[in-house]
Amino acid sequence: MDLFSNLALGFSTAATPANLFFCLIGALLGTLVGVLPGIGVTATIAMLLPITFQLEPVSSLIMLAGIYYGAQYGGSTTAILINLPGESSSAVTAIDGYQMARNGKAGTALAIAALGSFFAGTFATLLVAIFAPPLTIIALKFGAAEYFSLMLLGLVSAIALAHGSVPKALAMVVLGLLLGLVGTDIYTGTPRFNFGITNFADGLNFVALAVGVFGIAEILRNLEDERSRKVITSQVGSLFPSREDLRKMLAPMMRGTVLGSALGVLPGGGAILASFAAYTVEKRLSKEPHTFGKGAVAGVAGPESANNAGAQTSFIPLLTLGIPANPVMALMVGAMIIQGIVPGPNVASEQPALFWGVIASMWIGNLMLVILNLPLIGLWVRLLKVPYFVLFPIILAFCSIGVYSVNSNVFDLYSVAMFGLLGYVLIKLRCEPAPLLLGFVLGPLLEENLRRAMILGRGDPMVFVTRPISATLLALTVVVLIVVLLPSVRAKREEVFVED
Amino acid sequence: MKTAFDPTDAAAGVLFILFGLFFGVQSLGLDLGTAFRMGPGYFPLILSGVLILLGAVILAGSLGATAQDFGAMAWRGMLFILPAPIVFGLTVRGLGFVPSIFLTAFVAGFASLKMSPARALVLAVAITIFSTLVFSYGLGLPFRRFGPWLPM
Amino acid sequence: MAQFTRFAGLSMLGLMLGSAALAQGYPERQITMVVPFSAGGPTDTVARLVAEKMSESLGQQIIVENVGGAGGTLGAGRVASAEADGYTVLLHHIGMATSATLYRSLAYDTLNAFDYVGLVTEVPMTLVARKDFEPADMAAFVSYVKENADSITLANAGIGAASHLCGMLFMQALDAPIVTVPYKGTGPAMTDLLGGQVDIMCDQTTNTSEQVRGGTIKAYAVTTPERLEIFPDLPTVAEAGLPGMEVAIWHGIYAPKGTPPEAIEKLSAALQAALADEGVAAKMADLGTAPSPAEDATPQALQAKLESEIDRWKPVIEAAGVYAD
Repeated sequence: MDLFSNLALGFSTAATPANLFFCLIGALLGTLVGVLPGIGVTATIAMLLPITFQLEPVSSLIMLAGIYYGAQYGGSTTAILINLPGESSSAVTAIDGYQMARNGKAGTALAIAALGSFFAGTFATLLVAIFAPPLTIIALKFGAAEYFSLMLLGLVSAIALAHGSVPKALAMVVLGLLLGLVGTDIYTGTPRFNFGITNFADGLNFVALAVGVFGIAEILRNLEDERSRKVITSQVGSLFPSREDLRKMLAPMMRGTVLGSALGVLPGGGAILASFAAYTVEKRLSKEPHTFGKGAVAGVAGPESANNAGAQTSFIPLLTLGIPANPVMALMVGAMIIQGIVPGPNVASEQPALFWGVIASMWIGNLMLVILNLPLIGLWVRLLKVPYFVLFPIILAFCSIGVYSVNSNVFDLYSVAMFGLLGYVLIKLRCEPAPLLLGFVLGPLLEENLRRAMILGRGDPMVFVTRPISATLLALTVVVLIVVLLPSVRAKREEVFVED
Repeated sequence: MKTAFDPTDAAAGVLFILFGLFFGVQSLGLDLGTAFRMGPGYFPLILSGVLILLGAVILAGSLGATAQDFGAMAWRGMLFILPAPIVFGLTVRGLGFVPSIFLTAFVAGFASLKMSPARALVLAVAITIFSTLVFSYGLGLPFRRFGPWLPM
Repeated sequence: MAQFTRFAGLSMLGLMLGSAALAQGYPERQITMVVPFSAGGPTDTVARLVAEKMSESLGQQIIVENVGGAGGTLGAGRVASAEADGYTVLLHHIGMATSATLYRSLAYDTLNAFDYVGLVTEVPMTLVARKDFEPADMAAFVSYVKENADSITLANAGIGAASHLCGMLFMQALDAPIVTVPYKGTGPAMTDLLGGQVDIMCDQTTNTSEQVRGGTIKAYAVTTPERLEIFPDLPTVAEAGLPGMEVAIWHGIYAPKGTPPEAIEKLSAALQAALADEGVAAKMADLGTAPSPAEDATPQALQAKLESEIDRWKPVIEAAGVYAD
C-alpha cells in the first residue's frame, strides 16, 4: 500500500502540466543533441545543465532525467546510422546496429532499440520504486576486490564482441586498457605515457577516442576507392520490425533488462559493463551466433535494453545515498545542490514529492521518448539517402564541435585526428574497434580497484578469493572463459576448412 | 593467394608488439612498487607483457595462413579528413567559431572525388549557418563567433 | 565542460531575449568566469551561485565556463594567459595555493600571473568515519587512531583534493602513518566509507553533512576555529588538541595580471553585493558553509590568503613527498 500511495504521489507530482512539459522538453532536447554526432550523453547533460537551473527543483530534475534518457536514445541513433557511438554503452549497439543499417534495415534497428529501451525503462522504473533501499545495501557490499573481479568478468566478455580472431580481440582489449592508463596515476600523482603533454594529464578523452576510432575511421573506410564501389547502401527497406524480428527480440530484451538493472545499481562502473555483458550473453545463447556482427537483431535488442535499464537503476545509489554512480549522476548531484537540495540518505524521507516525482517521471519520460522516436525513425532513416559526400563533411563538422565543447580544449581535436588514423590502420589490419573501447573504459577502473584491493588486503592476493562475492565472480569468469574459448577454437577450425 | 603468410595479420602482430614494447619500456621507467602498494608502473608492465605475447601469437598465426585482400587505401580521404579537426582546433580560438567551422567543413569536403569546389563551398556555407544557429545561438555554447584575429 | 547560462537556456526554449542592459564603461559585454573543474562539482556550484547574483549588479551576464583538468591548473593557466581586460575571470579554490607546490612545472607563476578580486567562501571540513567505527568521541578517536595506525585506512579523493590535504594534516598532527587509500573523486570514496570498506576520511561539509545527519557515517570533529551551527555537538580540532589541523577550502576570484583597476573594483563590489544576498547565504548554509564577510571579499584579503596558504602548504606537501606533475 505504501508503494501505491508513494507512486500516486509521484505521478501526481510528475504529471502536472508544467512538469510534463519540462519532461517533454528534456526528452526532445536530449534526443536532438544526442543525435548530433560526436556528442555523447555526458557532454549533452553538461551542456544543457544550466538550462535547468532556473526551474523548480522537481521540474529541474525531471527535465534533466528527460535529457539523460533522450540523449541515450539519440546516441544509439548515431551508433546505428553512422557507426558513431557517443558513449561506451552505444559502442556495442554500433556493432550489429550499423550492420543492420548497411543491410537496409536501419528502420528496424532503430525501432528495436526504441522498443527495447522502453521495455527496459518500464521494468527498471518499477524496480527502482520497489527495491531501491535493499538494492543499495547489496551495492554497498561491493568493495575493490568485487569490482576488480567484476571488471575481469566484463573483459572476458569482450572476446565475444569480436567476430574475427580471438587473439586480435584480446590484443585490442589490452591495447585499450593501456591507452586508458595514459595520464596521471591517481595513487602517486606520477604522470605516465603522456609524452610530457599537460593536456594528457587527465588521460585521453573518451569522446575523442570514440569519434576517432569509430567515426573518422569509418568515414575513411567509406571513402576507399569511391570510383568503383557504391559507398553505402541507400536502400532503406522496411521501417518497422517484422513479426519475426519482434519474436527474435523478445527474449534478448528481457535478459538484457534484468542484466542491466542488476549491474546499473553498482556505483563505480557497473553500468558500463551492462551492454557489453548483454551482448556476450546473447551471442552465447543464440542459436545462430554467426549472425552476430553481421546485423543480428538480438545484438541490438539485448544491449540496448541493458543499457537503458542500467541507466535507470543507476539512479538508485543517487536517490538513496546521494552517491553518483557515473559522471552523469555526478552532474545531477551538482544540479540538486544548485537547487538547494543536498543529495543524501534523507532525500526520500524529507522530500517525498521530489523523490517519487523523479521516479514517476522516469517512466513518463520513457513513454514520451518511445512515442517521439517511433515517428522520427522515418526521418532518421531518410538521412541515409543523403549522398555520402554530403553527409561526411557534416559529420566531421559536428564531431569537431562536439569534441571541443566537452572541455573547450583544442588538444582533444588533435587527438581525434590521431585516433582516426590509428582506428583506420587497425580496421585495415582487420582488428575490431569495440573491444579497444571497452578496454579503454575499464583500464583505469581495473587498475584502480586492483591496487585498492591489494592495499585494503595488505598485499595479500587471497583477498580476491576469500571474499564470497569476489570469489563467485572470479569463478564465473573462469567458466565464461572456458565456454567462450572452446567453441571459438572449434569454429576457427571450421573456418579454415571452408576457406580451403 | 598462395603466399605462405598473411601480411595483414603479420602487420597487426608487429603493431601490437611495438605498442607493447612502447608501453613496457615506459613502464620500466616508472616506479613499480610492491604487490601491497603497487607503483604506477606495475599494472602497465604486466599489460605490456600480455600485449607483446598476444602480438607474438598473432604474428605466429599469420605464418602459413592464406593472404587476404588488403583492399584500397583511402589516401585522398586521409589527406583531407584527418586535417579537418586539426584545422578547427587551430583556428577556433583565433578566427572564432563561424570562420573556423566553415574552413573545417570546406577542407573535409575535398576528401571525396565527387565534390567539386563549388559544391564544397555551398555545403560548407550551409553547415556553417546551421551549426552557428544550433550550437552558438540555440545551445549557447560559449564560443566566440568571430575571434581576435579578425579586424572587426 | 562547455557551459551556458540561464539566458541561453531561455533562448533555447524559444524565449529570445534582447541583449542585456546597456552599461556605461566596463562591463560592456558578457564576462566569462572560468571554473577549472567540471560542471556540477562543488566549485562549480559555488561559482554559479555567485555568478548569478554578480551578473545582476554588473548589468552583464557572467557565463560560467568549465575548463577542467590537471587539478585545476589547466583552467588557471587559461586565465593567466587570457587578455587582461576584465572579461575573463577565474574562480578557484585552495588548490590555487597547493598546486604551486604540488605541480613542479606550472605553465604560470601563481603569485605573479593574477590580479585579485576577493574571497568567496570558506567551506569547513569534518573528520568522519564509517558508522560502526569503534571510538565514541573525538578523544577516543585520536588515541584509537594513534594506537591502531597500521590497521586503519584513510580514504581521500585523489592528490590535491580537499580530502587529501586534510588527510595529510591529520597524519602530520597525529604523527601516525595511516594507510591511505586514494579514490578518483569524492563520490567513490564516500561510497566505500558508507559500505565500511574504508575506515576514516576528512572531507568538506558539502559532501559529509547530509550523510552525518542521516546517520550513515559518524562525525568526530570539525576543522574550523569555532564549532559549526549545523553540528553544535562536534568539537573543533583545536578543542581536541590538534590545533595545527585547522583547514577550510577557501574559494577566490582572480583576474589576469594587468586587468584595469576599475574593472577589478567593479567586480569586487559585485562580489560583495552577491555575498550579502540572503538567497546566496541560504544556499550556502544548505551546504554547511557561509559567504565570506565583506572585508574578506577584497583583493587585499585574497592576496594575503593566497600568499599565506602557499607558505603553509609548501612544507606539508614536501614532507609528504607527493607531487602531482
